[in-house]
Amino acid sequence: MTDRYVELHASSAFSFLEGASQPERLVERAFELEMQAMALLDRNGVYGSARFHKSAKLNGLHAHVGAEVSISGLGQRLTPPAWLPFRHRAEPVRIPLLCESRQGYQNLCQLITRFKMREHIKDDGAALLDDLEQHSTGLVCLTGGDEGPLASALCSGGEKAGRNTVERLVHIFGHNNVYVELQRHNEREEEWRNQAALRIAQTLQLPIVATNGVRYATAYDSEIFDLFTAIRNQIELDRAGRLLSMNNQRHIRPAQEMVDLFRDIRGAIGNTVELSDRLTFELTDLGYEFPRYPVPSNDSMDSFLRKRVIEGVGRRYGARNTSRFMEQITKQVESELALIERLGFAGYFLIVWDIVQFCKERNILIQGRGSAANSIVCYALGITAVDPIRMNLLFERFLSENRGEWPDIDLDLPSEEKREQAIQYVYLRYGELGAAMCANVITYRGRSAAREIGKSLGFDQASLQKLSGLVNNFEWRGPTDTMAHSFRDAGFDLTHPRIAKYLDLCMRIQDLPRHLGQHSGGVVICQNALDTVVPLERASMPGRTVVQWDKEDCADLGIIKVDLLGLGMMAVLEDCVELIPKHYGDDIDIANLPEDDDVYRTLQRADTVGMFQVESRAQMASLPRNSPKSFYDMVVQVAIIRPGPIVGKMMHPYMRRRQNKEEVTYPHPSLEPVLKRTLGVPLFQEQLLRMAMTVAGFTGAEAEELRRAVGMRRSMDRMNNLEDRLRAGMTANGIDSATQETIVQNIASFALYGFPESHAASFALLAYASAYCKVKYLAAFTCAILNNQPMGFYMPAVLVKDAQRHGLCVKPIDVHESEWVCTVEHEANRTLSVRLGMRYVKGLRKQTAEAIAISRRSHGIYQSIEDLTSRVTSLNRDELITLARIGALNELQGSYHRRDALWQVQRAGRSEGPLLSYSKELLSEASTSAPLIMMTTTKRMTEDYAGTGLTIGSHPMAYCREQLRRRGALSAKELWNASNGTYVRTAGCIIARQRPGTAMGYIFISMEDETGIANVIVTPDIYERHRSIVMRSKFIWVEGLLQSHEGVIHVKAMHLAALWDRGLDVRSHDFH
Amino acid sequence: MGRQALKRPAELYACVYVREFSAQALLRLRPELKERACVVMAGEAPFEEVCSLNTKGKLLGIQRGMGRVDVGGFPQVKVFSRSLKTESTAKQMLLECAGTYSPRIEDCSGDTYFLCAIDIAGTESLFGSPEALTRRLLQHIQSLGLSGQVRVSHNFHTAVCLAKSSSGHSRVVVNSGEEAAFLSPLPLDVLGLTDEHAEIFALWGIHTLGMLAALPEKELIARIGQDGRRLQQLARGEWPHLFQPVDSPFRLEERQELEFPFDSLDSLMFGVAAMLDQLILRVKARLVAISAVTVVLELDGGETYTRRIRAAQPGNDKQFWIRILHLDLQSHPPPRAVVTVALQAEPGNTSTIQLGIFSPPLPEAARLDVTLAQLQALLGEDNVGHVALQDSRTPESFRVEPFRAPSGFDTSAVLQKERTAARRLRPPEVTSVHLDQTRPDEFTFREQRFAVESAYGPWMARGEWWNEMFWDMEQWDVIARAPNDSMLCCCIAHNLLRNEWQVIALYD
Repeated sequence: MTDRYVELHASSAFSFLEGASQPERLVERAFELEMQAMALLDRNGVYGSARFHKSAKLNGLHAHVGAEVSISGLGQRLTPPAWLPFRHRAEPVRIPLLCESRQGYQNLCQLITRFKMREHIKDDGAALLDDLEQHSTGLVCLTGGDEGPLASALCSGGEKAGRNTVERLVHIFGHNNVYVELQRHNEREEEWRNQAALRIAQTLQLPIVATNGVRYATAYDSEIFDLFTAIRNQIELDRAGRLLSMNNQRHIRPAQEMVDLFRDIRGAIGNTVELSDRLTFELTDLGYEFPRYPVPSNDSMDSFLRKRVIEGVGRRYGARNTSRFMEQITKQVESELALIERLGFAGYFLIVWDIVQFCKERNILIQGRGSAANSIVCYALGITAVDPIRMNLLFERFLSENRGEWPDIDLDLPSEEKREQAIQYVYLRYGELGAAMCANVITYRGRSAAREIGKSLGFDQASLQKLSGLVNNFEWRGPTDTMAHSFRDAGFDLTHPRIAKYLDLCMRIQDLPRHLGQHSGGVVICQNALDTVVPLERASMPGRTVVQWDKEDCADLGIIKVDLLGLGMMAVLEDCVELIPKHYGDDIDIANLPEDDDVYRTLQRADTVGMFQVESRAQMASLPRNSPKSFYDMVVQVAIIRPGPIVGKMMHPYMRRRQNKEEVTYPHPSLEPVLKRTLGVPLFQEQLLRMAMTVAGFTGAEAEELRRAVGMRRSMDRMNNLEDRLRAGMTANGIDSATQETIVQNIASFALYGFPESHAASFALLAYASAYCKVKYLAAFTCAILNNQPMGFYMPAVLVKDAQRHGLCVKPIDVHESEWVCTVEHEANRTLSVRLGMRYVKGLRKQTAEAIAISRRSHGIYQSIEDLTSRVTSLNRDELITLARIGALNELQGSYHRRDALWQVQRAGRSEGPLLSYSKELLSEASTSAPLIMMTTTKRMTEDYAGTGLTIGSHPMAYCREQLRRRGALSAKELWNASNGTYVRTAGCIIARQRPGTAMGYIFISMEDETGIANVIVTPDIYERHRSIVMRSKFIWVEGLLQSHEGVIHVKAMHLAALWDRGLDVRSHDFH
Repeated sequence: MGRQALKRPAELYACVYVREFSAQALLRLRPELKERACVVMAGEAPFEEVCSLNTKGKLLGIQRGMGRVDVGGFPQVKVFSRSLKTESTAKQMLLECAGTYSPRIEDCSGDTYFLCAIDIAGTESLFGSPEALTRRLLQHIQSLGLSGQVRVSHNFHTAVCLAKSSSGHSRVVVNSGEEAAFLSPLPLDVLGLTDEHAEIFALWGIHTLGMLAALPEKELIARIGQDGRRLQQLARGEWPHLFQPVDSPFRLEERQELEFPFDSLDSLMFGVAAMLDQLILRVKARLVAISAVTVVLELDGGETYTRRIRAAQPGNDKQFWIRILHLDLQSHPPPRAVVTVALQAEPGNTSTIQLGIFSPPLPEAARLDVTLAQLQALLGEDNVGHVALQDSRTPESFRVEPFRAPSGFDTSAVLQKERTAARRLRPPEVTSVHLDQTRPDEFTFREQRFAVESAYGPWMARGEWWNEMFWDMEQWDVIARAPNDSMLCCCIAHNLLRNEWQVIALYD
């Protein structure tokens, strides 16, 4: 007997609540036990197999692929006998299938896809026997453990039924491809099934194979498995009874233990190794091919691409350029096209171009981002909007010969419907089985873990809610930001054994998968055959399908994706392009906006609320120092406030040089051309590449390889090798060793965090466009940004207040005027104002709001509330009340103020009944006077926030200004007049809280009052003392030292207090 | 013949309101805590919340809904758990107290307060003016250790609203016609509004009864229907009330203080017999029978000892009750001498089962009760009944349920297959086991040594790892032989947490 054993039936946490360990953990454990191979069979999919494969490769393990597939027609999963009480749901049995060959894998993918797609909604589903028969080739079938068909048949119909079931499997898969599976988990009932299975195997002359039906890596993880069982069945652990496993024996067992366990059954262990040797398929042999783009018969994809690029170059550059410049362009185009042809990527570019064409034909704003902007081919094809020649961008950062990876082009689209149109186009173009979204694995995080485990352990809802509110989602993880701390803050006694277990479980299930979602925009394409590469299934969103792997998995396995990402600012700009000509009479081309001093002055003042990428507190703090004066300054501005430059300590040197406070120097004179634009400070990844090319004579591809090697830190050997070459190159160029050291340090520290210049340029275009629109066309911009919420850094209430401070008249929601969306209105004095749309009325359905607007347009304004309710019958009582509460009915006849309307709405909301519905006049009220008194100003404000989330009236802080002044508080505007180092008092409404990972636990609070926005810095010790105020308060009182430096002011908090919030439903935007 | 107008009888109601009733009920016999902040918490540990508190607690800043941790932050707070039993006793006392002023009492109590209205019309000749009655009533309530408010009005609801409002007028008696004026400043919540009405009035900015009373009636009805009229009339003190008196509590209780402490059960039963006579007389007068009797014995030293005996069928056979009480007290004798005996009987219907003429005679229900009582005396009351399995893998996870008449023939219990029978040993018998590596080799059972011939296992089971009840064991099914060649097939279990071996079942 051999003492080698291969586990051929293991499930990971990617069986979603039916497995308790990550695939990597299973591999790690198998490696520890010196197992040579292992098979992962997750429930109805290969969700975890990509990660399993990757981890197995790193550990030198052979990763077999398979799945446990639900089958209807072979009975229900085993349940306890009827005379015992239990809570098991009826579920179809699952058969374990192993892929022997690529054909087997393709069949498995198609089999799973077939039954998953048969469902109309996202559901597990089950295969039919017919499906199995059609997709059985290349698959090896095991008879399964307690989830399998043999156990089910034995228990429901005895040995005879068991034999019939196995015979059916033999009929489907063939005699050589069915193994009778034996599992021993030290359970009595299982053993009699094993004895029956052995007799069946002997009768049918089938091989037997031992497995352990693994659901977790180690015995200790069985607790997670039980917990998941409770969560899956939505039941408390105390009540789960027989749903929970009998013991903790479903872990990966060492070979010797399995040999001992099956010593009495000849061949059970040996066969695992033999079967493993048979299973030659691995995911490296996926057979994925990117779809070919259909081209006319007289063209190849390369020639077709060349023609489109040449057309594009003509369009982009025209005849206005010098022949020398055109020569440079032609040279770059040729070089890029040649590389694309060599790498065989023409199809990819054409497919992306095709999507861009589709969008352009439908006036959908689309723009490529990321490193694609380094490519003139992308620019010529209209994929990107940044001219890489003029910007002097480096193509190698995008594509290089040695990389062996597909190019990655991300396309930004206006969010919502427009993006959906593009996605649906891809589905239509490549077929239902030809394209699908990447999956997004939803994992257990702090809050979700605390909530679900708490429920399973029987904790009450209120305590769980309190705990969820306290589990910290800030980026920074300080020493006290532990779950234990949150538990204590929520009032849990950690010495209580059950609570200690609760905390322990919360920490143990972090990052385990909960369910599969869909990626926001990654589309995987494979002409009509994606289902042979990876199973597809329905997403929750109608009309969407997803593959079973997330984007990292796809990338690891060389599956190409195109990212169609929704970008709120694209939608805003698209709306601006429509609104500006209509209301201002100006034509506007977002890609070719003029450089404008007003716009730069506004940016220099950091007056940037609502502007793309430059509106955050950190950006606002750096804008006055960097003082952008040109487009390239914006490119730097977008790139510099990033974790990379901050951690790499590049931000401050650049700023000091920018302000002429530090001399501009270069590590070596030869690097001046490379670093001149960024004042000698390397900020962009492209600069790193050029540095290597300049000082060490690297080719573009080599330099890119260096960047990636340093960035990923995957292989120390490779990195050391490249570093040696770098140093050798520098020595050859006569660079002394000290300078070499500086350059190597520069490259090493920066490669990790650098930002691609091309990406910054693409974003800077949008940032400048948003700034331009806001400065020049405030009404249109405000209207557009309000219509595309949620997006950006600030809540709509802040955007409205900011627009008002800039002189824009924002008008209230009114059923006589408002549409569903916000609109621009022309005033008698020829100014423009913005009318709030009914989309801001909480609880009002879009359909109803549109019905209000349509009836108003077709039958004139509403005479009274009764007229409104009779014409818009879909308006329900709650909607009417909300409209009345926010003053949207104030302009109706007989309704002079909100309480008048509420008085009338209450009557209009009650129907007379059919008997009296034709004689309403009989019931009309003699008295038209309303008996209710008007709401106070503060009450109106409260109702505004409750009903719309914002107010166009005075800022809440304005109402207590006198009181605050008596207490010595300065307004946000007055803080500007205070001198540096003064002890100040101030107060405001919190609009944003940030705790960046780079700020060592400091918290930045932006708070607003009627005069503007003030910034508060909370040190970690002050935070510890006032944690609840910082986390939960809506309005705060702050005392501390004013820090005024280079046009930026902050209050460094020394004392914090919560102010009465008046019950206002104001929201802040936190946790960026 | 001319019709004489019906004259409405004069109405006058005194309404008693006791706020923070949970706290007051618990504190009334603890005068030493008068100066301390005290809170009552309800809910399951560790998530109890404050449901009631005294004035000192409120002054400290404690509020309803606070958790144990929040309360722990306040110094010197005495925390009680809510006792519904204590509240019930206090409520009964208050109702009895109210009943001494009028036979017509209406109980309107809520979850957190006690509220009752007393129809005191026509009681002037007995108790003096309404003011005098009120003073007397308040003194009476205070003597019970409670503090309450009393308001008197000719309108029932006015009295209720004024009593519920702590900030009401200092005058306790409202004359006819003054109701609206008295009610006007009161907040709307004294009306006990539904959530919907509370929301509507809040939207309208109506906060007091006076504001509600001032709304135009017809328009109000058009908006919230007849409820609007009712609420407005309530606010004006005009809404009539149909008095729904509660029955004076029917308490089947007898209590006897013994002249000297009794040790002998037989002597005790003499007194019990006399008390049973009285109880049976009283239940017979109401055409009911006794279904259960609780014996409350006050023991030498102040301790109370209680036994409750329920019959399968209510009955008034004195000898039967004496017999089963005697059997019960025999099997559960009081630990010390008895100084006071109290019997509390519960009434039940005297229904009899009519069987067919030719049905075989069944044993009398009373005899079955006696037999069961004898069994319970012998085995313990938790060990008599039928066994019901639970959905749990925990060993011994069954419960004993009292016998009940079957509702029909249960086919689900019929086993479809023949199975090996195992006789569980309850309790399991501890054994010592000698192991050969990890397998049992020899063990002792009932003082005899057995050599294991075959051992199947280990069958492993564990559970409840998430709490203190965590268990972990392995079992072996063994065929063993004794030196005298007798064979034993049994199941032995190894408790892995306590490292203890037990024989838990014998196989047939």
